[in-house]
Amino acid sequence: MTDVRAPEAGSGGAGAAAPGEFVPGDPAPPKLPAAGRFGVTAWARWGWRQLTSMRIALVLLFLLAVGSVPGSLLPQEGIDPAAVQQYYTAHPALAPFLNAFGLFNVFAAPWFAAIYLLLFVSLAGCVLPRAYRLARSARALPPAAPRLLSRLPNSVRYETTMTPAEASAAAEAFLARRRFRLHRGDGWLSAEKGYRREFGNLLFHIALIGVLVSVSLGGLLGYKADRVVVEGSSFADTVTDLDAYHPGHLVSPSDLAPFSLTLDKFTASYILSGPDRDQPSVFGAHVSYTAQPGGPVRSYDIQVNHPLNVDSTKVYLIGHGYAPVFRVTDGRGKIVYDQATPFLPAETSTYLSEGVVKVPDAQPEQLGFAGVFLPTAVDVDGQLQSAFPAPYQPAVSMIPYSGNLGLNSGVPQSVYQLDTSGMHRLDTPVQVLTPGQSMKLPNGAGTLTFTGYKQWISLQVTYDPGQVPALISGIVALAGLLLSFLVRRRRIFVRAYPGESGRTVVDVGGLARSDVGGGFETEFAELAAGLGAAFHGTPGADRPVPVTAATPTRGDNDPPPTTEETRSAETE
Amino acid sequence: MAVMAIAGVLGVAACGGQIAANTPASNGVNFVAGSGTTTYFGAGSRAARPAVSGTTLSGAKLSLSSYRGQVVVLNFWGSWCAPCRKEAETLVVESEQYKSKGVRFVGVDIRDSPATADAFVQNFGITYPSLNDPADEIALSFSGTVPPAAIPSTLVIDRSGRIAGRIIGGVTYPSLNSMLTKVTAGA
Repeated sequence: MTDVRAPEAGSGGAGAAAPGEFVPGDPAPPKLPAAGRFGVTAWARWGWRQLTSMRIALVLLFLLAVGSVPGSLLPQEGIDPAAVQQYYTAHPALAPFLNAFGLFNVFAAPWFAAIYLLLFVSLAGCVLPRAYRLARSARALPPAAPRLLSRLPNSVRYETTMTPAEASAAAEAFLARRRFRLHRGDGWLSAEKGYRREFGNLLFHIALIGVLVSVSLGGLLGYKADRVVVEGSSFADTVTDLDAYHPGHLVSPSDLAPFSLTLDKFTASYILSGPDRDQPSVFGAHVSYTAQPGGPVRSYDIQVNHPLNVDSTKVYLIGHGYAPVFRVTDGRGKIVYDQATPFLPAETSTYLSEGVVKVPDAQPEQLGFAGVFLPTAVDVDGQLQSAFPAPYQPAVSMIPYSGNLGLNSGVPQSVYQLDTSGMHRLDTPVQVLTPGQSMKLPNGAGTLTFTGYKQWISLQVTYDPGQVPALISGIVALAGLLLSFLVRRRRIFVRAYPGESGRTVVDVGGLARSDVGGGFETEFAELAAGLGAAFHGTPGADRPVPVTAATPTRGDNDPPPTTEETRSAETE
Repeated sequence: MAVMAIAGVLGVAACGGQIAANTPASNGVNFVAGSGTTTYFGAGSRAARPAVSGTTLSGAKLSLSSYRGQVVVLNFWGSWCAPCRKEAETLVVESEQYKSKGVRFVGVDIRDSPATADAFVQNFGITYPSLNDPADEIALSFSGTVPPAAIPSTLVIDRSGRIAGRIIGGVTYPSLNSMLTKVTAGA
């Protein structure tokens, strides 16, 4: 019976590629046809295989990294247009040449988009077919049982008084109870478990596609904007009211969430002593907002890492500073300026802040002031300094200019810088003003009054519809990966056939595919014992030689051993 | 992960060119300046304007509904904004020129203080009224239709209260003139 047979079915069924092993697009590398017969479709197929290969994906990723280098070396249009203009003035010959390659706006350059899109296609083209193969493999039936189960890493032989069909049915029932996937044929039974591994692998690949899609979703439909808001003032989430606006490709100004927000109060406390002196301990912005025009007014306390969420648009607190309030009277005695002016912190430890005041409608000449705000002004050897970031002793010192501010030419300029090229400095001694104090400008040009100060916060408004899907995809990818690592696929084969003694021989073989953690031997022994009990089998000889040996372990329900049963034994 | 980061940057940097940007930390311009893009909507594809009303800089109540049957030019400006200062003369000239043709100009002063706005109006001799809108609520009410997308922005509203055109950035005499010619002709 168990004479030598060709192991044709055996090795084929059990020895396939292990799951989780990344098989490239095709088992065999693409063969280049002879030069003359390389048609369009062949070229296309070859190109596609190249594009979706891991090697090209890595090359593209590298190119993307290299391509973004000029973005950090050269000034960028989208980040600091003024710096680009400066570069043009400094390098009149080189700048147009660089601009022709889009190097002043790298991330919007066509060549950069080309790399990105190719990478996207490469990844999708690699992951999608793989996901399809994994899906098929997760649904596949186990292969036919090999002929010689004794050649498998784990095997055991039983003999039973049941007919082969009865023994098969008993084994099937047993394995089905253990939730094995079954495939039965003529006299054999294949069972496999651990498909969750394939499912996990599939999940991982689908989640990878999910990450790609989420990221492009965010890039296309999301936007990011910045806005400085002074205490007591409001802003609306509309393009005219934003300081900076970076929309995604498919975002139009009418897509912005129509909320408006008022900064009621900003509070900051600083550590007064110890090694962390001058560091902020708590700060928060108390705001009231309406989600859409005419809606109910709600209030919220925005803190660092504790953004306001309005209809999936998030408003983050990213900075703060002081806005001294100035009143300027011009040469005619008319009040031409009366407002809080945000100054930028120049020293983060003391919040010594710098800023400018531009009075374009002053008569007879435009006025400009540049200077500093000191939250806690102290005189250190005749030099004015700030001793602490909190406003304990606020003061300003401003230098007056008159002339042409350059605003009427229509070229947008920074509100934090004074272009003095068309102005002359007014000849006054440097004065330190405390709240309520004024400084008279020479030649009856006007008066500057420091009336008080407010605080400002800078907010970042972000809308990224890809954020949540990207997070979910990330979690799913991780879960899938864990599943595919932790679950082991294992197969049990059963062959029942009439033995020489007239009894039925049942061979049970087991195989763990990619036995990462080990421990399949134990599981197999347990399953084999269970199977043996299921068809009341006794351990059979590996070869049909009658041996007398010890009775195998058996369950309590088993019938008492007969003389025939004791005949069989293991010889392995 | 690197791919994600770079893709994020790409998305953020999407629009490029016409947008001037900064955070308080950098030295850009602190408002979104326009490029002079002109959009004209044919008579069949115009969206109705939202209700616009408020208090003018001189303290009077003003509602656009009182201009029904007339073409309205709605100009969003701020005294601190350089392109707004440049276009002011053109707006004054055209507002006088089109007065007899039933065109009314209304300014919307945004992100400004009363003192600076008054000085601006006086300096440029602006004769038409401007609504005081420091919190930019009027621009916000246009979101979902044809929002002003930069400072300055100018909307042209036809006789039946529908938005016929938008100029993002400073107007020039020809750009506003050609739009007003079409809208007053009923096109």
